[in-house]
Amino acid sequence: MKLRSPSSILALAAAAVLATAACGTSGPGTGDTVTVWGLQDTALNPVQQKAIKAYNAKGDHPEVRLQTFVNDPYKQKLQTALGSPNAPDVFSNWGGGNLRTYVKAGNVVDLSPMLKSDPSLKKAFLPIVLNGARLDGKYYGLPLQGMQPVSLYFNKDVFAKAGIAKPPATWDDLLGAIDKLKAKNVQPIALAGSQSWTELMWMEYLLDRVGGPEAFAAIEKGEPGAWQAPAVKTALNMIVDLVKRGAFGTNYGSVGQDNGAADALLSHGKAAMELMGSWEYSAQLAAAPKFVNGGKLGWTAFPTVPGGKGDAANIVGNPSNFFSVTTKSKKKQAAQDFIKTSLTDPAYVNDLVKIGQVPPLTGVKAKLQAAPHADFTTYIYDLVAKAPSFQQSWDQALDPATSEKMLTNLQKVFNRQQTPEQFVAAMAG
Amino acid sequence: MAAVADRSARPGAIWAAPALVYFAVFALLPMALVVYLSFTRWNGLGSPHWTGLANWSYLLRDPQVIQSLKLSGILTAVTWAFQTAVSLPLGVWAAGPQRGRAVLSAVFFTPLLISSSGIAVLWKALLDPNFGLATIFGPWVGVDDGNFIGRPSLALWTIMAVISWQFIPFHTLLYQSATRQIPSVLYEAATVDGAGRFQQFRAITLPQLRHTIITSSVLMIVGSLTYFEVVLIITGGGPGAATRILPLDMYLTGFSAFQMGYASVLSVLLLAVGTALSLLIVRVTGYRRMTSQREGL
Amino acid sequence: MTVRSAPRAEVRAAPVPRPPHRRYRPRANVPAGIGAAIWLVIVGLPLYYLVASSLRSRDAYLDAGPLSAPGTHVGNYGEVLGEGFVTYLVNNVVVTAGTVAIVLVLAAPAGYAIVRSRSRLVRTSFSVMLLGLAIPAQATIIPLYLLITRLHLYDSLLAIILPTAAFVLPMAILVLTSQMRDIPAELYESMSLDGAGPGLVLWRLVLPLSRPGLVTIGIYTALNAWNGFIFPLVLTQDPAVRTVTLGLWDFQGTQGTQNVPAVLAAVTLSLLPLLVLYLFGRRHLLGGLTAGFGK
Repeated sequence: MKLRSPSSILALAAAAVLATAACGTSGPGTGDTVTVWGLQDTALNPVQQKAIKAYNAKGDHPEVRLQTFVNDPYKQKLQTALGSPNAPDVFSNWGGGNLRTYVKAGNVVDLSPMLKSDPSLKKAFLPIVLNGARLDGKYYGLPLQGMQPVSLYFNKDVFAKAGIAKPPATWDDLLGAIDKLKAKNVQPIALAGSQSWTELMWMEYLLDRVGGPEAFAAIEKGEPGAWQAPAVKTALNMIVDLVKRGAFGTNYGSVGQDNGAADALLSHGKAAMELMGSWEYSAQLAAAPKFVNGGKLGWTAFPTVPGGKGDAANIVGNPSNFFSVTTKSKKKQAAQDFIKTSLTDPAYVNDLVKIGQVPPLTGVKAKLQAAPHADFTTYIYDLVAKAPSFQQSWDQALDPATSEKMLTNLQKVFNRQQTPEQFVAAMAG
Repeated sequence: MAAVADRSARPGAIWAAPALVYFAVFALLPMALVVYLSFTRWNGLGSPHWTGLANWSYLLRDPQVIQSLKLSGILTAVTWAFQTAVSLPLGVWAAGPQRGRAVLSAVFFTPLLISSSGIAVLWKALLDPNFGLATIFGPWVGVDDGNFIGRPSLALWTIMAVISWQFIPFHTLLYQSATRQIPSVLYEAATVDGAGRFQQFRAITLPQLRHTIITSSVLMIVGSLTYFEVVLIITGGGPGAATRILPLDMYLTGFSAFQMGYASVLSVLLLAVGTALSLLIVRVTGYRRMTSQREGL
Repeated sequence: MTVRSAPRAEVRAAPVPRPPHRRYRPRANVPAGIGAAIWLVIVGLPLYYLVASSLRSRDAYLDAGPLSAPGTHVGNYGEVLGEGFVTYLVNNVVVTAGTVAIVLVLAAPAGYAIVRSRSRLVRTSFSVMLLGLAIPAQATIIPLYLLITRLHLYDSLLAIILPTAAFVLPMAILVLTSQMRDIPAELYESMSLDGAGPGLVLWRLVLPLSRPGLVTIGIYTALNAWNGFIFPLVLTQDPAVRTVTLGLWDFQGTQGTQNVPAVLAAVTLSLLPLLVLYLFGRRHLLGGLTAGFGK
């Protein structure tokens, strides 16, 4: 009990306060480093670290440091940090509407001069992807990783067992496949319903197929009556139809994506299909290598919809993630040098290819064909190269407030908590 | 106590000053600021812009806030009722001379050693409908597909169950130690008089525990305003808005939709509810009285 | 029945001498025993799941049933420790120590002043503090975010410590004052007769006699600070200052999407420090938890 005497309590207290104060004020971002923020991605982060290490090793410039964050909290962290003195020098973003918020607040450096002064740099990237960071005619970011269109993935064994010979190409094919799978007591589609952005992908494709890219373009611009367009209602009704048929099973509301639960359903044969971005391939490769390396993972484009206005080759997803430079950065030049050099570095590109990513670089197809996972990567490359339109994910394209409202309401539709009419009313009002 | 002439040197207000100043800066000032922010529009970048009553007039039209208030109310009331109904008998039982009580207590007590965030992470994994424990106990309670947190009608009940699981050990503890202090002589006299166990419970135990019931209830109700990470981590306010209690609505509005001005309005609501509760507690429990508890004994 | 009136009168009139070994002994209570057994299962099953799953590899977790015998895959623990968990623990300790320090240093003199002072200002201030009892800290995260960033304290442990201490203060002062009230007035007077001023009274008389109360609020504050979530969530982002509570949510193993068994290993690890405290200081821990209310 000697420790508890008042004098020693107070002495300990004083010491602790001093100690913590000392620890507290030395935050990150101090010192001579270029801080780069990225998403946590187990396949990609080692590649990025390797590139950074190589970049740091040569040349006379400030050291570059990478910090990574999980997806859902990242957006919040980024927004709050960009408004604080602890802003990073370089940050990853999804381009489009997501980037627009920061540009409007004056937080992003215009990279157009950099691209203009080095024409080969601009030509290196696929235009459809580079345009993802192009706002009001100016470029605000460079693609940092592979293109990520959304495709329909499936388990070949499950298909075979249910007697489905070919992956569904039309909507009727899909419905037929669903029936066959239900007859075999298999959940047709894996859906991580507890995270509504996975449900969003279905809506994105359906609206594009039914109403063409102009349907969402109107919504994005905020045109009056955009949400009330008939195409929106049709797409929503198709979703409700899927739900009613039991296409997603019954317990999708509790399934998560970040913890790999939905992916596990696919790889363990408990579900037949999953609509997901191209990172699904590398995620499955990491979590269930036998499934992928055994050739059991299949992929195909989203089915066509009869009478739809959208081109069957249109795609949705993330054109790429982009590295942008913050205006608050005290090392803007170093930051720009870093992204310019490392993102087009052949070693980096090779490493991206090695992990199954498809870099948005012109002329990379030959590299893809020579690398492992060529059947997947060349599929993705062709998918993007041939696409007339590449719609950015809605939750990145829309402003945060609308996006949050939309995700909540869409989840309600998937859970039959509200009707398509109520969704439209909620979004339009 | 004041009968004898008081010649002791009394401390001046200066002795309370450090605490008061600190509280004023880090608690009162933010509270004042949140009121100010409720009249502004701010998305976290740049500075807040004054918009007058715009946010407050939106409050009157916002269907979500009514839903959130309702959910918070249900949460508070049901968790209070359920936790009291379970921890009181459990605490009384635990005060007895059962064998192996030490081991049992350690097990019962463990949920308290896990932080709220740890409990939420554990239950989120547990409630996975395909790979978690939910696949096993789901059918026991009639939820065959293990879909607890994904079903709008069940999600809030699931959250309430998790919260109760976390805090019942604590309240059991309160009741247990209070029960131990009831003089056994009372029960012996009652037994001699032929009173049955249930009668003894109603006539002796319950009245003697009255003070503890109030304390425990106060702690539960005050705590219920702060249940946050459990909901955030397990359901994120979903499915849809089925578990979007007021603190969560405020957080999502501020840090997901980045409407910090309106989120401040919701914060002011929370503040108002909290203040009202504090007043009620102080009145009901008489904490303000400066008299010693030992008086009269 | 004479049960109702007699016992109460007896207790009031004269303290009943309590034989040293006598305890409250109800007759064997079968229904309650069954209820307790059910509760044991309700508590025990998730705990078993927690530890058993943490010992499975990821594949084994997905394939095996949740209740099957635990694996022996301790790799999860290694992974957790290697992925920065130790940093999180250290941060937690610093935050807890700092918060406790501030609360003790502020609450002790304030409690003394509230109990002994005749000043009206002190009384009203006490009432103001009591108002803070039920106010949820979350209501202030937005202005706190604004304040902390303007003070350039964003992403520091101090950013977590300062508000946490402020919101624990009302409860701490409340507990301390109710404890301090029990100090007999004669002791104060005898010290004053010897010429002692308030400072000396505080140091020599009040603090030593309030030791149990100080320990109680110290532990209560420590538990609050240890489990804090919302302040770290909003006011920090760097993994270097991440706390355990946040780390559990953000934790991603070395395998792409979250490795559930590894996360459960992290949860198990996070409860070990408190478990150790419980085994060694059970009485104090419980006292702190109940903030002295159980007495």
